Amino acid sequence: MISTLRALPTVFSIGLQRQLAYRWNYLLRALFSAMPLLVSWVFWQAVFQTKETVGAYTLPGLLTYYAVLLIVEAVSSPADDDFQISREIREGMLNPILLRPLPYGLYRFFLFLAGRCAYFTAALLPVVICFYLLSRAIPLELGNLDLLRGLPALLGSALLQFSLTLCLSLTSFWFLDISALIFLVYSLEFLAGGHVFPLDLLPAPIFAVARLLPFAYEYWFPTASLCGTLSQEAWQAGLCLQFGWALAFLVLAHFIWQAGLRKYTAAGG
Amino acid sequence: MHPFSLFRLWLVQIRYALTRELAFRANFFAWVIVELSWFVLQLAFVGVVYHHVDRIAGWSRNEMIVLVSTNQLIQQIFTAFLMPGLTKLPELVRTGKLDFVLLKPVPPQFLVSTAQLEIGPLANAGIAAWVTGMGLHALGIVPTVASLVAYLLLLMTGLLVHYALLLFLVSLTFWIVQAESVLLGYYSIFQVARLPREAALGWFRVLFTFALPLLLVANIPAATLLRGMEPGPMALFLLTSLSATLFASLFFHQGLRRYQSASS
Repeated sequence: MISTLRALPTVFSIGLQRQLAYRWNYLLRALFSAMPLLVSWVFWQAVFQTKETVGAYTLPGLLTYYAVLLIVEAVSSPADDDFQISREIREGMLNPILLRPLPYGLYRFFLFLAGRCAYFTAALLPVVICFYLLSRAIPLELGNLDLLRGLPALLGSALLQFSLTLCLSLTSFWFLDISALIFLVYSLEFLAGGHVFPLDLLPAPIFAVARLLPFAYEYWFPTASLCGTLSQEAWQAGLCLQFGWALAFLVLAHFIWQAGLRKYTAAGG
Repeated sequence: MHPFSLFRLWLVQIRYALTRELAFRANFFAWVIVELSWFVLQLAFVGVVYHHVDRIAGWSRNEMIVLVSTNQLIQQIFTAFLMPGLTKLPELVRTGKLDFVLLKPVPPQFLVSTAQLEIGPLANAGIAAWVTGMGLHALGIVPTVASLVAYLLLLMTGLLVHYALLLFLVSLTFWIVQAESVLLGYYSIFQVARLPREAALGWFRVLFTFALPLLLVANIPAATLLRGMEPGPMALFLLTSLSATLFASLFFHQGLRRYQSASS
């Protein structure tokens, strides 16, 4: 147990080094991630030409949502962890990892953390520039930011996204190529997760269903928590559901891993 | 090399790629569903926004559906024929396998662009065409033969813009070791093409009309179906698309000079 804990900072350091080996790739990724915010700005400005509010949102409120979403995405979304795990399984690269006294899930979690730290650092400058430029055109409602509620929701989002990614990637024990599955789930995450629009713009019955699904707690819930647009009751219920889903996916990942190992064939080193 | 020879070579490459694709039929159906889900996502977005407003920048709900599905149609044709080859370029450069392309007596840009094919997106292009038709039907518009021919030609022009942008982005791989993020860049930047042209103002409109004509890619073909042919914007679209393609091609060749083969 102690040796496992002592190994974790090393895993984190390896993860950081892996990410920083391709700094330009990272910087490009961070720069491109700001593009949807620019498109949202142009699009929603046109929508608000004829109306003061859309749903419960004013134009500054809605753009604040999209701007904060950039941060949530930078902190909590896995980059290519799913493809890395899939490759490790498919190409037999699990062998040396299995020999180490380190649970695979924990090993991947620390690599995920390192990836998020590196990406957030790379994305910080483009995000700050975006915020600055946008706030010159539109008075963003950054004064309402609620870190006390937002940070736990952000942590929950990272845990939920990691556990869902782990479940999906571990299906590589059975399937040769899982990229179609991964992109299918991406599209669900974008639509039902509040990435394309805030979920509370949906008609009420659909919104009620969306709030029960795990995807809502990946983007919409942490973003709305940070923006301070949720009531105390809604935030508490949301946090319980978010961590509940994360725990459920972690347990599921554990069972998939156990079943997958029975199927896995290690050959050579 | 003679253009006819290149065309024959392209047909051979398509036949080879088709054979390879049909070896993985389950993969074909999986990708049809994936691409379809992204299209549904775009239509759902239109549905949600028009749940709150009647018009956006002068475009009604059904007109917006024609715009979004036209954009999808162009993107899927591009994804079928040109995108798979271009996205392989970073890997070819990193592993040095570009050597095999350069050794062949064919322009490398042609080989890189046409070496791969995906047939799944063609099914989705069919679905996008059907949705476009439904949108027109809901609006009570029956396009004339002339506007349909113009629409098809404008789709081809739109393909040039997609090609120019992705060729430019993947050519960055000659300067950056790992350039996988360029695909994310392509998808991010191309969100602009789904915007109604009238929604964009100021520098944004100038940039994405004259420098990189993304605001024209789906807008001009869709407007041709909805409002008839407008020679001025159509000529501008053709001119800017050709300029963008030429610039991207020069950038690719500039990058090619930096390439160091695996064996040297």
